Amino acid sequence: MKNKLFKSFALALGALTLTISCTDVVNELPENKAFTETTDYSISDNMILPLIGAYANFSNMGWELNPLLAVRGDDVNKGGLGDQKDLKDIDDFSNYNKDFWMLNSAWQGLYSDIYKMQVAIDEVYNYMEAGASASKAEQYVAEIKTLKAFFLLQLGRAWGDILIPTTSSPSDLLVAELTPRDEVFAYLQSLLDEAIPNLPEGRPNQRTDIKGGVTKATALALKAKVSLELNDYQAVADATSQIIANGGFSLVEDFSEAFKLDGKLSDEMLLEMQHSDYNQGSGDRSYHLFAFYGPQKWTPAVSGAGGGWGFWEPSKEYIKFMLDRGEEERLVASVLFTPRGMSELEADGYSLPSYVSNTTPYGDTFQDYPRAMYASGKHYMPSSYLIPGRTSYGSNKNFPVLRYAEVLLMHAEALTNGANGSGMTADQAVNAVRSRAGMAPLSGVTSSDVMEEKLAELAMEWGDRFYDSVRTGNTSHLNQNGANYDDSKRYFPYPQAQVDLLPALQN
Amino acid sequence: MKTNYLFITMFLLGIATVFAQSISGHIISSDDGLSLPGVSIVVEGTERGAFSDFDGNFTIEASVGDTLIFSSIGFESQSIVVESDTLEVTMKTNTTNLSEVVVVGYGTMKVKDLTSSISTVGSEEIQKTPSSQVMQALQGKVAGLQVVSSGAPGEAPTIRVRGVGSYPVGGNSTPLYVVDGMFFNNIDFLNPSDIDSVSVLKDASSAAIYGVRAANGVILIETKSGKANQETQVVYDGYYGTQLAQNVLKMANAEQFTTMVLESGSTPDIEYLLNAMQLFGRSRVNPNIPDVNTNWYKEIMRPAAIQNHSINISGGSNKATYSMGGNYLAQEGILDMKNEYTKINFRARVDFQANDWLKVGANFITTNTEKFAPEYGAWKSAYTAVPILPIYNEDNTEGAWPDNFASARTLGYRGGQNPFPAMRYSDNRIQGKQTVSNLYAQVELIPNKLDFKTTYYHSYGDNYGRYTRLPFYLSNGFQRVDASISKSFSTFSNQIIDNVLTYQDQVKDHRYTLMVGSAYRNERGQSLGAQGLNFPYDDEKSWYIDQAATVPSEAVGDGGYVQYGLSYFSRVQYSYKDKYMFYGTMRADGSSKYQEKWGYFPTLSLGWIVSEEDFFKNDIVNYLKLRASWGQLGNDKVAASDGAATTSVINTAIDDTLTAGTVTTNNFSSLGWEVVEETNIGLTSKLFDNKLSIDADYFIRDTNNAVIPVLLPVVGGSILRNVGTIRNSGVELSTTWSNQVSDRFSYEISANIGTLKNEVLDLYGQDYLNGGQAEFRQRTTVGGSILAFYGWERAGVYQTEAEIAADPIAVANNLVPGDLKFVDQNNDGVIDGEDRVDLGSYLPDFTYGGNMNFQYDQLSLSISWMGQSGNKILNRKRGEYIWTNDTNIDADLAVNRWHGAGTSNTYPSSSGLRRGWNQKMSNFFVEDGSFFRVQNVQLGYTLKPNNFPQTRLTLTADRPLTMFNYNGFNPEVASGIDNQTYPIPAVFTLGVNLKF
Repeated sequence: MKNKLFKSFALALGALTLTISCTDVVNELPENKAFTETTDYSISDNMILPLIGAYANFSNMGWELNPLLAVRGDDVNKGGLGDQKDLKDIDDFSNYNKDFWMLNSAWQGLYSDIYKMQVAIDEVYNYMEAGASASKAEQYVAEIKTLKAFFLLQLGRAWGDILIPTTSSPSDLLVAELTPRDEVFAYLQSLLDEAIPNLPEGRPNQRTDIKGGVTKATALALKAKVSLELNDYQAVADATSQIIANGGFSLVEDFSEAFKLDGKLSDEMLLEMQHSDYNQGSGDRSYHLFAFYGPQKWTPAVSGAGGGWGFWEPSKEYIKFMLDRGEEERLVASVLFTPRGMSELEADGYSLPSYVSNTTPYGDTFQDYPRAMYASGKHYMPSSYLIPGRTSYGSNKNFPVLRYAEVLLMHAEALTNGANGSGMTADQAVNAVRSRAGMAPLSGVTSSDVMEEKLAELAMEWGDRFYDSVRTGNTSHLNQNGANYDDSKRYFPYPQAQVDLLPALQN
Repeated sequence: MKTNYLFITMFLLGIATVFAQSISGHIISSDDGLSLPGVSIVVEGTERGAFSDFDGNFTIEASVGDTLIFSSIGFESQSIVVESDTLEVTMKTNTTNLSEVVVVGYGTMKVKDLTSSISTVGSEEIQKTPSSQVMQALQGKVAGLQVVSSGAPGEAPTIRVRGVGSYPVGGNSTPLYVVDGMFFNNIDFLNPSDIDSVSVLKDASSAAIYGVRAANGVILIETKSGKANQETQVVYDGYYGTQLAQNVLKMANAEQFTTMVLESGSTPDIEYLLNAMQLFGRSRVNPNIPDVNTNWYKEIMRPAAIQNHSINISGGSNKATYSMGGNYLAQEGILDMKNEYTKINFRARVDFQANDWLKVGANFITTNTEKFAPEYGAWKSAYTAVPILPIYNEDNTEGAWPDNFASARTLGYRGGQNPFPAMRYSDNRIQGKQTVSNLYAQVELIPNKLDFKTTYYHSYGDNYGRYTRLPFYLSNGFQRVDASISKSFSTFSNQIIDNVLTYQDQVKDHRYTLMVGSAYRNERGQSLGAQGLNFPYDDEKSWYIDQAATVPSEAVGDGGYVQYGLSYFSRVQYSYKDKYMFYGTMRADGSSKYQEKWGYFPTLSLGWIVSEEDFFKNDIVNYLKLRASWGQLGNDKVAASDGAATTSVINTAIDDTLTAGTVTTNNFSSLGWEVVEETNIGLTSKLFDNKLSIDADYFIRDTNNAVIPVLLPVVGGSILRNVGTIRNSGVELSTTWSNQVSDRFSYEISANIGTLKNEVLDLYGQDYLNGGQAEFRQRTTVGGSILAFYGWERAGVYQTEAEIAADPIAVANNLVPGDLKFVDQNNDGVIDGEDRVDLGSYLPDFTYGGNMNFQYDQLSLSISWMGQSGNKILNRKRGEYIWTNDTNIDADLAVNRWHGAGTSNTYPSSSGLRRGWNQKMSNFFVEDGSFFRVQNVQLGYTLKPNNFPQTRLTLTADRPLTMFNYNGFNPEVASGIDNQTYPIPAVFTLGVNLKF
């Protein structure tokens, strides 16, 4: 009996010790998480990783962003009639619905990218403090700041007074104040001024570490664009003059190709969202949802190529404007016609030249579809350009963000508004753009010539037409196709979902 | 004295031996009139005993005048004086249950000693429900337990014990299942026929012994075991039946749809109609609508078979008991695609008294499942697909392959819409294996007083998922180019070692039990997944990533987790004169999951059996116990806290090269223990000769440090934070009336109801927290319910131009007749964010259930019902309209839309549906989710043929009838957001039970 008890107690004791000796296990860290604090910042070669991450987020910008920002211009109408009525209401300025999902989605998309940029800057500095090259770190940070400036520019143009993040924690905005519109753009000028000295020279496609990455010219172009918003024409001219004077940029010979494969990382591009099929017919790819812009019904030259949603329709006014000017190259490259769209023009008294056709020079033919009469050629890639095996509309196409043509036209706009610049005269700048498009040169260009040239050249790109119109106060042409603009419709309302969260937006 | 007693006994034995004769008899159960094996028979005052055999027969040496004592678990013991040499004995089922033993954490307790709120459901009730899911059988059976079923085969229902204390994301409100002592998050591997009993530990005092994992309630499950001294019993149990969808949602038909489109004023949509008439012809009945009228729901569903077969073998000697079983279940889904579930499981349990101080045992369950999961998207497509699209388009000129399924893009619509391609060209196979085993040794250190039990548990399993997508081409933009195959492997291994020391003793009127123990827990898992594109897909044998032309590197994933837990626990249970009870437990839990490593969870409870007091004794109330308890519980099912910024890899295209970068997330969840504090008072009573029993409980359950996802400003998304205190309180009432009217007829009627009030008490100073999707806002407000739907209140519909003109709000917003009218809550003359109000909660105000059993001779009938009331459902299927307008809509909306003054004061006009004003989150989208359901009807007949096994035949209708007003398939929506739920079918089965 005694023996038994002894044995049992030994067993019990043994079992208890077994568990007690394991007390340390509750201090184990979770598995399968790369904790930032465990990052080895002393590996200086890895400093480029957060920068690539920043470019990745830039290229991944949501598909709904550009449509919302750009829909209000007279160059383009919201297609897809009957669907997304709120976007149509924005297009014709009849009603801005605070609850519209696209407003909130665009706002969140822009801000979350800004915060990703903020955190990426912190990360680069962590590498620098651990011994990585300070000059390289400052260059990387300057690149990320340029991208951040791009996002803030979009917010400022669309909403006017906005919140400017200064830390990397969104919760800090709960106590932040709104920055008035003009201060936003002044802030962006200084942000870009900080960045510019640290950026590499040359064109983005000349960079060997990150081809297509930001260079000094990118930041200067962005600064010019920011300065336009302040009517600071001298700052515009200073920036564009530098880009022109340093040389290197040139326009892609064929206007149409600038938006297709030839344009990818070409000498014309200062900034683009890079996408790729990685030269393979299936598997990994990075792409933008160009289907939003695509035609609903077509007969692609390569059968099986996918179409689009028919949501984005170049306006009839824009087409007429181009026809009146005798534009061929830029019209054919910017607009895809359906038979119905062509007969609409004929009904309006236009006898269409032979180059206006529902078959593109690349052999894709568009049929009638109810949602729209025209589609955007700038967001189109011919089916014959697709790598065999790929069928998504616009797969492998980059999304141009800043082109040299725009730099030239901003230069001309600044000069015709009294600024002093170097490198080119306003005539030279405008004619450089015109000659690529096969248009006769002008002399003695006026600022209204420049604005027309901008419409012809930059239609449907990033809402430039709308913002150019409202900042110059020249808004009467916005009232086309049932639209009725007044200045109360210049800025979007803050999305209700954000008003609910942020005290600064509640008054 | 002792010797005298011994002497007398021997003397009496001697006499007995002299006069003893062989007495034989037959024992039946009052319950079903069936023979009762394994009943213990003892001659009073002697050690002579016997057991009834399988046919209920026994023989025993006794004399006329001796008293025989008959006893068996679950029956009332009875004494019978021998009058002749044959006896017919009817054992009465134990209706008081007070002597029964229930399983509590790390031990057992007598029902009469319980001071907590525990509800137990036995195997008979569980087996009435034809389902692969054990918990499904508890729906409506237990007050305060909400079971939200899932219609897809093999999918577990959502279980809520006494409401929710934290936001139900990622399964963090699921209860803890303890199967024979082992912890589980789900019990898919069990089969209803394996179960002996299911106990729901509802209050803190019963659950607190499980500490950190107990906050969502604990469900204790005991699998079947053999009984000592029982002859081998072989039981076959099986059923075969069919499942039929109920309450199929009526969609607008072609005519109603056409009317909607024509009234929408949308030219493109009208053109699509014309296209359909061109392609498919005009209806001969009404030439203005296309000659196609597809009822998509009807087309994608089928009657589905279900069958189950199980064999159980059990028995025992005086040293060992055993129980073994096997089960096969096959269930098809009602979605007409490869959608089915099969489960094969085996189990064995052996307990062995090795010697007078050592008992050992082992329990083992192994399960193999194969599930072909449905394409849930098909349900949504069937809702949105237009009725003017046929399933097949034989005239497709676009070169459709492999089948001629029609594409709505051909008519001009944005998407292809047809749900059939998703159903036909997808194959989602998930195979799972799970083995659960435990081994124990129990040492009696001081006989009948002190024992030590050590148990090792291991649950090991793997899951293999294979998701195949086959290519097709139906029209431009409705195609799948790449054949793809995604595979994932995961394994998990959970181990627990429990050591428990229990001391029990009685000193005069003081009876007490002391228990201390420790547990070590180790949970780990790994997973690996990859994808392959374009493999030879004609033969399933080649569905391997190795055969694929491309293996995208971005689709490779590898994951794993390891979590440790360490616990110390103890229990004190004390009773004085069997009238006054005290019960207390304490548990200390350590977990590697949080920054804060240790949590402590105490509980106390008291009981008073009033009916034992002399002053109370009366003829009406036979038994009355009052109970009160308080305790704290932890919830560790909320996601593990990262506690720090994390960095992950992101790929992008740089110069047409896949390039890796990193992105750092510094919005991380930093969490402490979520602690539930609960107070429960209740009573247990028996009245009118124990015919009526009433159990009542009132509880207040506060979740402190409740974990809720908090929306991040400007950037979207959310992080988890301990944000405040949430209270659930309610009353639960269960009552049963049972009566044995005659030898041949008995009946039982029971009913239960549980109320629930969910209230946010504190949000650490904030007035509210927003949640849900931006377009369908949910808001948690102090004083309101957690994540209540939040939006504008619909006042009606503007009927006339005059009404518009008279209302400045309507004028300001350019409204037209047929637009919704919202209540201007603050009367400031504008409708804005300030006018939004609480539109109701997804949690029901009360749930109820009931049961009637009738037994007449060999015939039995049982009917059960359940329901809930007061919960709201967000009709997100309708809400989808705010993004996509070119779709179909349900018939209720189509028929009752506004289409002229006086036609509707609830729904907007067809064109109004497309305007943002009417798409605001309002109670146009939020509907009442109350329902009543006839849960189960079973008719049984028992045959007792000679020389043939006892046979019982049953006809069962499970969930044959559900009544509700909600415009959806199914009012059972766990989160309250009805996007696409798998409909819940009614099940009709024929069952056979054979006892050998």
